[in-house]
Amino acid sequence: MQPIRYIRPSTVREAIAAHASLGDGARYIAGGTTLYDLMKLNIERPTGLVDVTFIEGLETIDTSGDTLRFGANARMADVATDPIVQSQYPVLSEALSKAASQQLRNMATVGANLLQRTRCMYFRNGYGGASGGAADYPCNKRIPGSGCAAIGGLDRGQAVLGVSDACTAVSPGDWPVALVAMDARIEVAGPGGERMLPISELYPLPGETPHIEFTLEPSEIIVGIVIGKNAAGARSTYHKIRDRESFAFALASAAVALEMSGDRVNAARIALGGVATRPWRADAAEAMLIGSDLTDDLAMAAGRAAFADAVPGRSNGFKVELGARTVADAIMIAAARRPL
Amino acid sequence: MQGAPFADRARVDALEKVLGKPIYGADMPLPGMLHAITVPARIAKGRMTALPIESAMRVKGVVRVFTPDDFGPAPVPPAGRYAPPPPMLIWDITFRGQPVALVVAETLEAAIEAAEVIRPEFEEQPFSVLADADNGVVRDAVDDVAAGNTMAELARAAIVIDQTYTSPTQHHNTMELLSTTAVWAEGRLTVHEGTQRSSGVQHDLARALGIDPAIIEVKSAYVGGGFGQRGPTQCQTAIVARAAMILGRPVKLVTPRSQIFHVATYRPMSVHRIRLGADAEGRMVAVRHDAEQEQSRLGMDPPPDRYHDAPPRIYGIPNYLGTSTYLRLDRQNPGFMRCPHPQPALFAFESAIDEMAIALGRDPVEFRLANGATTDPLTGNPLSSRFLDECLAEGARRFGWEQRNPLPRSMTAADGTQIGWGVAAGAYPSMMVPSIASFRVSADGSARIALSGHEMGQGIRTAIAQAVLKHIDIDAERLEIAIGDTSRAPQHITVGSWGTAGAVPAAEAAARRMRARLIELLDGRNVAGNAHRQLAAVRRPYLDVEVAQTAPGQDREEALSALRRGGYAVGGPEYPGFTAMSYIAHFVEVRIEPRTRRIRVPRVVSIADCGRVISPRTARSQIYGGVVWAISATLREETEIDPRFGGYLNCDFADYVVAVNADIADIEVGLIDKPDPMANESGLKGLGEVVMAGGSAAIANAIHHATGVRVRHLPIRIEDLL
Amino acid sequence: MSDENSRECQHSEGFLVLSRRSALLAGASVVPTAPFVRSAKAQDAVSPLALPVSAEHSLTVRTNINGGAFEINLDARTSLLDMLREHLGLAGSKKGCDHGQCGACTVHVDGRRVASCLTLAAKVEGREVTTIEGLSDGDRLHPMQQAFIDHDALQCGYCTPGQIMAAVACVHEGNATSSERIREYMSGNICRCGAYVGIVAAIQDAAERMERG
Repeated sequence: MQPIRYIRPSTVREAIAAHASLGDGARYIAGGTTLYDLMKLNIERPTGLVDVTFIEGLETIDTSGDTLRFGANARMADVATDPIVQSQYPVLSEALSKAASQQLRNMATVGANLLQRTRCMYFRNGYGGASGGAADYPCNKRIPGSGCAAIGGLDRGQAVLGVSDACTAVSPGDWPVALVAMDARIEVAGPGGERMLPISELYPLPGETPHIEFTLEPSEIIVGIVIGKNAAGARSTYHKIRDRESFAFALASAAVALEMSGDRVNAARIALGGVATRPWRADAAEAMLIGSDLTDDLAMAAGRAAFADAVPGRSNGFKVELGARTVADAIMIAAARRPL
Repeated sequence: MQGAPFADRARVDALEKVLGKPIYGADMPLPGMLHAITVPARIAKGRMTALPIESAMRVKGVVRVFTPDDFGPAPVPPAGRYAPPPPMLIWDITFRGQPVALVVAETLEAAIEAAEVIRPEFEEQPFSVLADADNGVVRDAVDDVAAGNTMAELARAAIVIDQTYTSPTQHHNTMELLSTTAVWAEGRLTVHEGTQRSSGVQHDLARALGIDPAIIEVKSAYVGGGFGQRGPTQCQTAIVARAAMILGRPVKLVTPRSQIFHVATYRPMSVHRIRLGADAEGRMVAVRHDAEQEQSRLGMDPPPDRYHDAPPRIYGIPNYLGTSTYLRLDRQNPGFMRCPHPQPALFAFESAIDEMAIALGRDPVEFRLANGATTDPLTGNPLSSRFLDECLAEGARRFGWEQRNPLPRSMTAADGTQIGWGVAAGAYPSMMVPSIASFRVSADGSARIALSGHEMGQGIRTAIAQAVLKHIDIDAERLEIAIGDTSRAPQHITVGSWGTAGAVPAAEAAARRMRARLIELLDGRNVAGNAHRQLAAVRRPYLDVEVAQTAPGQDREEALSALRRGGYAVGGPEYPGFTAMSYIAHFVEVRIEPRTRRIRVPRVVSIADCGRVISPRTARSQIYGGVVWAISATLREETEIDPRFGGYLNCDFADYVVAVNADIADIEVGLIDKPDPMANESGLKGLGEVVMAGGSAAIANAIHHATGVRVRHLPIRIEDLL
Repeated sequence: MSDENSRECQHSEGFLVLSRRSALLAGASVVPTAPFVRSAKAQDAVSPLALPVSAEHSLTVRTNINGGAFEINLDARTSLLDMLREHLGLAGSKKGCDHGQCGACTVHVDGRRVASCLTLAAKVEGREVTTIEGLSDGDRLHPMQQAFIDHDALQCGYCTPGQIMAAVACVHEGNATSSERIREYMSGNICRCGAYVGIVAAIQDAAERMERG
């Protein structure tokens, strides 16, 4: 880790100005659970940090109007246990509470969590001479054009959806998957003012430029997340299958929210995690459910539809089957929930 | 000679531990401390051709960068298997991650920054790091282990199970990072380090640094988990010690976990082909066990023939043929990791036993009971004690085994969850090491005993306290137990479940002798009160005794001399006239989710036979730990190696998945607590390793019972059941 | 702590306020000679631990640790864990991974459990930090500490400070209501010795005592 300068602004405007004053190596830092971690691995090499967590008023959770609005600095643990979120939008609450550990959820903010970087082992484990371990693997995210060691390598954890010849790294988050299912919008502030961004537009596919993971400008800062209130929220779940029961990244996960009358599905929102290069909206699975009476078989068929375009590698083929079954289970769990 | 069962007592160092007070290797605060970090090689094999350090030296706060030029040639290895030469910095690279430079700086931040800017140049040679990758593997067989006429009996057997089972590379991952703090002051070298082998480290350092062992002290009072990884002298120790001697200031190195994966020992991948034959009456008659295991190019430990320690001594099978082969690769030395040989060997063997019971239509508990043993087929000598049948019977009773439907896939819950019940037995050699114990009781109310032992959490301090307090009435609160410190007593390596057998009989003997000396001293007077009061009454400030003890059959002088030299002097499990083994029976329930096939272990019952139980509370905790290790090794852990690069890809706690709290549910443990009549004066047998033995097979057998799927590799993961 | 250091702390008044003497002693009791507690004044003295970084890469953190106010000059890269261990002599918080993956470094910041290894020290400006050294009330153990002893919820002891700090927070959060919930909410703390059964029992026991107390 190289020496850093550290600034602690108290307003968004000050933060943007501080970012500009620190020059090219400036980065915003919130909880630090991704950025500081990657600095210790010598992957992120900022020369200046703008700590946004001392900005006042950015941690507000507002569920009073037609929308849910989460200030970017609201802690993951706090949004997870907000009474309205817990009771009316279990998909959001569960996505947060199944992520990481309580310690990290107390640190990480719901805004900066959207910018969590991949856990691909060839990306993370290596390069740094000291704390980064002994390895040094080709990775197009780390060094554009250096190649992808995961393709043809140990790829059990890699993505099967949205992959390219340059990268198969999984988008690691849980919270972004739930937000994609719920069509959240992101409030972004930058030197030129504020803008709203549908969350689906935050994450580009890797294509030939896997090092570009987010569509934000470096100077831009996430200030809030907005979700239109909807009836599907109450009949929802975030189902996450991992290599252990807790404190692990998803092998496959599914955010599912349904509107139903009787057994009939009127609306479906389905997104996938752990299997794709970005939070993955499963339109084909949704389409298969809408207008039909839900059965176990239909749920399984919808799960399979979600993976129709999957491109497995050497040893992650099981994710296609596991992912389909995870979606199917999530659909049935969500359906069993009754709106209040 | 062996008395009543010991009473329950709280762990004697628990109070310090809940206060966060123990000083582990990296916790010793010292004025003027410098911080160090090693730079690892990024090739698997070859030579470092250049090591530019100018940019590192320009980093503010850097004091010095050590290179191979600062070190002489590595010392010649001494005789004895447990003392490989301590690694120094050298130009030749034999494994990926080998340290090539040491940065020392005023702060940790500066040391890391400087290490990151060092870019050594290498000349890489072709290498082979996986046994199944290509033809770079050298197969290196050692002598067979044989009893009877196995091949003929297998040919005659009515039924033969012939299967191959694989156990992966796994890393210990003690919670405490490997570290060394070295101080060179007033002509003495003091090393604070979590090691299981203080005196061995002391003598290895003396050889590596060319100094007299008498001026070296190694202190390892608390070890934050050992599991065998801290048995060999660690990679960084001599390098850090030399840096401290050259710089004249204390130097501390805390090895990052990612580097530990690359420089420390690990459980090597091993493959076990088992051929198990039974006669027409369903009596097991012969076993052939072909074991092969990863090893570095020159390494010796772990020796593969020790996969044959446990399987022949569980059941009365007269014919046993064990072959043993090293698979030599371009890796760092593997080592002993908790339950080292029996863990993979019994995953194979006890899975095969289950397969045989099923093939014969026998209940797996009843089948095991029907194949009891009294004799060690490898020596023809009796087993000193074997209460495995009691473990099986008690475990079956507590588990409710009689409710089990024997048919696979027969116990399905209403929601489709598949339930499976499995059983397996385990065994581990019960060994013993020499010890020299010095014991002082003072009139001021204090007492101290110094002897060999390292406290890694197994509870050896508590066991020593129990042993002492059994024989003499002293103030337990003021009993100091000095272990892991070469300045207090010579320290034998504490591994292989022999810590208690080394320490407790010696502590009991010391306490008995102290009592006898007190009686002599009182000379018939009747003085009320404890030993401190008695000493005060006769105006003696303190009384010292010293005892030296060796294992049955050991040459006393030779064993004590080895102990004093930091060497290796292990008795058993084959003692003159008998063989001593510890035993355990594991009963496991698994539940398999109907659609996503997650495997859960809601319930385990494990009953152990470790002879006399010295410290019931810490012994129970050892069983809990062994079961957690079994669950973790069976369902979670595998170190992943990309053969194109070498090294270990999943080298952190996020990617090397170990069991967390949510993975562990109800575990019920029990101890038979019957003294072994032969093994030692205390009647105890080892416990810390056997607690894991057979656990993997019990889980795999339960998974088979639940699903009908027989998985013959570890770890068993979700994709195996989809 | 030596007398010399005690005097120095008093001299530093204004920069270093000890509202709870025990908090400092807990760490300093293992620091016989070095002025580990930094204050602006102590910095002026010749110290072998002086940070050789340029001013712009360092910063002064004013924070409250175990009830005592501290003003500490640090390299801006320093983690809260390294600040506690290497600069304040509070070695009870442990480094097990340095990446937020094991929980051994768990401390409370403003009463909430965090991974101190992934917390920049700069972030505790104006906050209250509690470590294992500050949990007990003098000689009176916190009920969680007593429960860990009673249930033998530890073996090697290395993860124990982090487990206990996480466990206390787990109870305060209301996440100690069932064994299943405790297991889930304690999964951020790896115990390689495998003391999980005892840890869950200890937390259930302590939760009752904490509610009564």
